[in-house]
Amino acid sequence: MTFDTTALTIIGPGLVAGVLVLATHVPLGREVLKRGIIFIDLAVAQMAGLGVIAAGTFGLDAHGAAAQAAAFAAALAGGLLLSWTDKRFGKTQEAIIGVSFVLAATGGLLLLANDPHGGEELRDLLVGQILFADVHTLTPAAVLAAVVLASWRLVMRVFGRAGFYLLFAVSVTASVQLVGVYLVFASLMVPALATRSVAKHALAAGYVIGLIGYLAGLLMSAVYDLPTGAVIVWTLTLAGLAAAPLLGRWRGAAA
Amino acid sequence: MKALSFVIATAFVILAAPAHAAVEVLACEPEWAALATEIGGALVVAESATTPQQDPHYIQARPSLIAKMRRAALVICTGADLEVGWLPLLLRQAGNGAVQPGQPGNLNAADYVEMLDKPSSVDRSLGDVHPYGNPHIQTDPRNIGKVAAAVADRLAMLDGANAATYKQRYEDFAKRWQAAVERWTTAVAPLKGKQIVTHHKGWAYLENWVGLVEVGNLEPKPGLPPSAAHLAELLNQVKGKEVAVIVRSTYEDAKASEWLGTRTQIPYVVLPHTVGSVPGANDLFGMFDAMVKTLAEIKR
Repeated sequence: MTFDTTALTIIGPGLVAGVLVLATHVPLGREVLKRGIIFIDLAVAQMAGLGVIAAGTFGLDAHGAAAQAAAFAAALAGGLLLSWTDKRFGKTQEAIIGVSFVLAATGGLLLLANDPHGGEELRDLLVGQILFADVHTLTPAAVLAAVVLASWRLVMRVFGRAGFYLLFAVSVTASVQLVGVYLVFASLMVPALATRSVAKHALAAGYVIGLIGYLAGLLMSAVYDLPTGAVIVWTLTLAGLAAAPLLGRWRGAAA
Repeated sequence: MKALSFVIATAFVILAAPAHAAVEVLACEPEWAALATEIGGALVVAESATTPQQDPHYIQARPSLIAKMRRAALVICTGADLEVGWLPLLLRQAGNGAVQPGQPGNLNAADYVEMLDKPSSVDRSLGDVHPYGNPHIQTDPRNIGKVAAAVADRLAMLDGANAATYKQRYEDFAKRWQAAVERWTTAVAPLKGKQIVTHHKGWAYLENWVGLVEVGNLEPKPGLPPSAAHLAELLNQVKGKEVAVIVRSTYEDAKASEWLGTRTQIPYVVLPHTVGSVPGANDLFGMFDAMVKTLAEIKR
């Protein structure tokens, strides 16, 4: 059997992208689940995407620093707005997030209505092009993930609720351009859901589930020649479903 | 666990380089894969990155595509920015030095034909206008003949040991193609001067060859989906005109041509834009046989 490095160099960048996304999204997902604001990531991710699209409409290069700043500003504004509505209208927060999501999504549609490549840009925003990740996109993402994780405790303590929305906006802005909205949502929710009733090492268990999901998805997409991002959403969910009863039994034995 | 190791092993086998003696050709569109097979025969293994049902302007990256790009000795694309949305990314990610732009292993078909619709100025507000001209060159069979010569030269350069075979196979193909082009040209001659409406501005070379007159497009601007306002305007525009047919390709939605066709009694047809797009279009000869047959059946 030929076992050369070709396969590794093809799916390797995608796997690195997955590790970077999981690094921040597994702990963020636990916070999101705890606060019961499940659709916030869809809303904030769409707002980041809207920022990129808006920058493009005004003639800025989508991968340039200006567009990144626009995406981050849009995500941060969205995050802070949702933080304020959380405080102001706590009970209806989930509904407000839902409305923000459809506004951001249709805002992108309206901005791209006269762009012949609009359909492609919208699709890339949703499904992502994880296989095209390379040094130029992975390096800033790695720096950002390291900064988010290192400053986590400090930011949360100093800024409280707003701190959470700040970290969230930064992480999602980077990850949505790397892997797309769908995969960002799955990376946040699936590990958090599968480990929600685990008392000990829940974070570590979430990381393991996420890694297995990404690795299996990358390999399956190679074997069955399917679009990688969409396959990973499914394998990630299957990994979560398979792990949940195992973790439950483990908890039962420990208790 | 067994299933998992099977998947891992299979993935590695699929993505790994097989020991082919043949020249591996990766074409961006099916017509160029078919052309490479005509010229190379058993000496080449040609695959297409897009299927006949896919819009070549856009594709999703899959691992196999990067693996094929990495193994390829020759990459044949239309060029003229048709694949600008994905090909540069794919070339960069594959990191195959032999097929980068400017190398002998990278062939742009558009470099070998005369481009139509070259804009005097390029403005994004005009839609998906290609600065190098209309990239849908394959709908004129005479262009296929010109690209065939370039493919033959390139294969001979890359695989010198078989240069004589490529030359001989090309000469044989060119003779058969020339005869077929004459036959097709005679068959479509009565259509000269007929007016047509097309979905996308993708048939300029066919129109140039047959002598058809394009009076409108279903897309308001190239690449934008047909809008209600534009279709209504088009309806008024074609009223009173003798429009012979509404043309679309297999990857375009039928709704717009049906809408206009049922309101104006103008027949609407699908023409093969590439090999494999309609039944019978199994190779380049079949593609133009099917195209000419559909065109010749147009009554008015």
